[in-house]
Amino acid sequence: MLASETAAPAARTIMPARQYGLWYDAWRRLRQNKIAIAGAVIVLALILAALLAPVLAPHNPLSGNIIDRLQAPSAAHWFGTDSQGRDVLSRIIYGSRISIQVGVISVGIALLIGTLIGAAGGYYGGWVDNVLMRVVDIMLAFPSILLAIAITAMLGPELKNAMIAIGVVNIPFYARIVRSTVLSVKETEYVEAARAIGGNDLRIIFRHVLPNCMAPVIVQTTMGIGTAILDAAGLSFLGLGAQPPTPEWGAMLSDGRSVMQQAPWMMFYPGLAIMLVVLGFNLLGDGLRDALDPRLKQ
Amino acid sequence: MTGTAIWWPAIWYISRPLQIKKKKEEEKYMRKYKAVALLAALVLVLGVVLSGCGGQGQQAAKEGGKTFVFARSGDAVGLDPANVTDGESLYVTHQIFETLLNYKPADTELVPGLATSWENSKDGKEWTLTLRKGVKFQDGTPFNAQAVKFNFDRWRLQNNPYHVGGNFEYYTSMFGGFPGVIKDVQVVNDNTVKFILTRPLAPFLADLAMPTFGIASPAAVQKYGKDFFKNPVGTGPFTFVSWEKDQKIILKRNDSYWGPKPALSEIVFRTIPDNSARLMELKSGTIDAMIGLNPDDYKTVKNDPNLQVLLRPSMNLGYLAINDQKKPFNDPKVRQAIACAIDKKALIDAFYAGLGKPAKNPLPPSIWGYNDKIQDYPYDPAKAKELLAEAGFPNGFTTTLWAMPVARPYMPQPKEIAQAIQTDLAKVGIKTNIVTYDWATYIAKGENGEHDLYLFGWTGDNGDPDNFLYVLLGKDNTVKGAASNVCFYQNEEVNNLLKQAQSVSDQSKRAALYEQAQEIIHQDEPMVPLVHSMEVVVAKKSVKNLIPHPTGTESFANVDIQQ
Repeated sequence: MLASETAAPAARTIMPARQYGLWYDAWRRLRQNKIAIAGAVIVLALILAALLAPVLAPHNPLSGNIIDRLQAPSAAHWFGTDSQGRDVLSRIIYGSRISIQVGVISVGIALLIGTLIGAAGGYYGGWVDNVLMRVVDIMLAFPSILLAIAITAMLGPELKNAMIAIGVVNIPFYARIVRSTVLSVKETEYVEAARAIGGNDLRIIFRHVLPNCMAPVIVQTTMGIGTAILDAAGLSFLGLGAQPPTPEWGAMLSDGRSVMQQAPWMMFYPGLAIMLVVLGFNLLGDGLRDALDPRLKQ
Repeated sequence: MTGTAIWWPAIWYISRPLQIKKKKEEEKYMRKYKAVALLAALVLVLGVVLSGCGGQGQQAAKEGGKTFVFARSGDAVGLDPANVTDGESLYVTHQIFETLLNYKPADTELVPGLATSWENSKDGKEWTLTLRKGVKFQDGTPFNAQAVKFNFDRWRLQNNPYHVGGNFEYYTSMFGGFPGVIKDVQVVNDNTVKFILTRPLAPFLADLAMPTFGIASPAAVQKYGKDFFKNPVGTGPFTFVSWEKDQKIILKRNDSYWGPKPALSEIVFRTIPDNSARLMELKSGTIDAMIGLNPDDYKTVKNDPNLQVLLRPSMNLGYLAINDQKKPFNDPKVRQAIACAIDKKALIDAFYAGLGKPAKNPLPPSIWGYNDKIQDYPYDPAKAKELLAEAGFPNGFTTTLWAMPVARPYMPQPKEIAQAIQTDLAKVGIKTNIVTYDWATYIAKGENGEHDLYLFGWTGDNGDPDNFLYVLLGKDNTVKGAASNVCFYQNEEVNNLLKQAQSVSDQSKRAALYEQAQEIIHQDEPMVPLVHSMEVVVAKKSVKNLIPHPTGTESFANVDIQQ
């Protein structure tokens, strides 16, 4: 597609024989980045854990025997049991489903609305841009977690509402990124050409402008999923997200807090899971940024 | 020590030029820099040392002052004892206010308080109380028969201009409405007051000793009106100083107190919501005593040489209130099914460190009138399912389970207990969503009947069965907005039995009536009684004379701290 025209010259100088697309090029660069691959492996493991949870989990994540509560890690319970006698490992495995759900849905909300706002602002400019960007500025003025707390407090403490809240607070980031890219892309010759042959605004935005803004958005999305998972864990830790007995990592962390001294595994493993997954998404996001547009590295 | 940690980078920064310029600069300059750096370091170190001394100096400056810091998980709701029902509030008001009669330090036997003697008429309808002389309220106004009448009129008469600031729940639940049993309060002379009752009320004297009926200064009530709960004035050994919401309440010694002078000069009630954080503070010494120990910490605390563990004699009930007026809970079969679904023994082993007994009656076994013949519903999920099917719910239903936000002696880990009950109920097909609110809202919504299943509890106030059965299950106490019967159990027969028991003075006859009432209650199962627990009070070894009272609150008048 048109996208290849921008990246092609660089590729051509290295390998004049064949012409590679932007995506193939990016993939080649990503493959060479060991750290990014490590991130990808973690993300892949998370997805696998979520898909295969019923196969992988040794016990029922939702109910246990309270007589077996607070047992240290053992052969029967690799990560120990929690204060309700539930298997921590099984809960963490099932928790990956919640995390993916949270990551995808909340980032999906942010991405969809943010992209529309950013594209409209960047493409039309003028008062449209002014109004939209001031709204975005206002949203940015609040610390994101505080705004998320306020939104969930308003909607009621539920995982669904936590996802909405995290999605909403992340809108400004996508809006800004898309807007800035649209500003530069809309001045290019091919957009001008599209306009010259009579393409209407919608067609130009969706066929020509947005596809060429994908690189930074993909990077932000990947990193955004990690942040969204972290934020959701934070909300659940505060009791505003997942409600018991949902095996959400942040809620598990919160449950373990009161028995931190007797049963440190109740906090250690969910904490580790959150850390690894967020790390995975961040490493992958970093790698993607380098791969998709080396200029963004700065 | 954190102070020093902050200064190190500063010291390093100041001395940095030394390292860079060493080679280039003359020795003279070097000395100058070195001197400046040294001086700066010296000043900083001195500052840290001095600020450390300041802390100690402040403590020493309070001459002969002993501050007792007591921590719990929730803040007081209000400090007007007549308008609160929660232990957090009454713990504080118990130090500020005094009652006409008192309980002995470790049981509910009655001893003189603000009244020195009392006398009942032959028909049991008139009580004459002689009041203590020379007692003054903390604002300097005198305590006398007029003050007693003022307080009772405020509580019992809805058209009284000072009947404001709350719902006076305790008054209605103990005396049966407004004005209820107390027809009139007469001032005989300055030191004698007479109560005229509509009918004999057996627990009358025991009721008068309840901390909620602390006598307030009429002048202060008139002055503050609705805000009296923020400006409490009584006759007690400690005077209110300040209240920082959700942080701390400070009281100081009442130097004009009529009784023996307390050893403590100041009491600080601190709110530390998290059980482990509170214990951490106790271990590090920033608080002197606490309630609300995580049962999982019981063992470690017992082995700690610096701490003493005090067990409160059990006179309480932790229960799962069922809103009997709401569908599907209006069917006794559903309630019985819930009772069969919950494994009480496992709950107690897991969340009470074994410091409790499974409850089968709403009344604790330590109180006379307890019906021991009753057979509890067994833990039997299969039977629960059967009962649900009979009631028309073979596949169960979905409802809400309310979990208290604060740890109480009868419910030391409400969130955990709620989750365990949630698991138990799920096994028989009842799906529950756990909901919670802040403490004041939780109580208010419960009194208003907005709940389905509601974790709650009760600590006996006066050692009388009436205080459990009539308060928790009397039909008279189901008035929405001020209900103490949060099961909204409206059985006429039970209500009549309980009222009859109030009017009889012979204790064995009363006991028989209460036993009969418990049988009907057991059949109806308006609530699931879960546990009678022993509360753990943990204090530093240096704290003396802290005696946990079965009613859940004790006076700190005799508490002392000895190093």
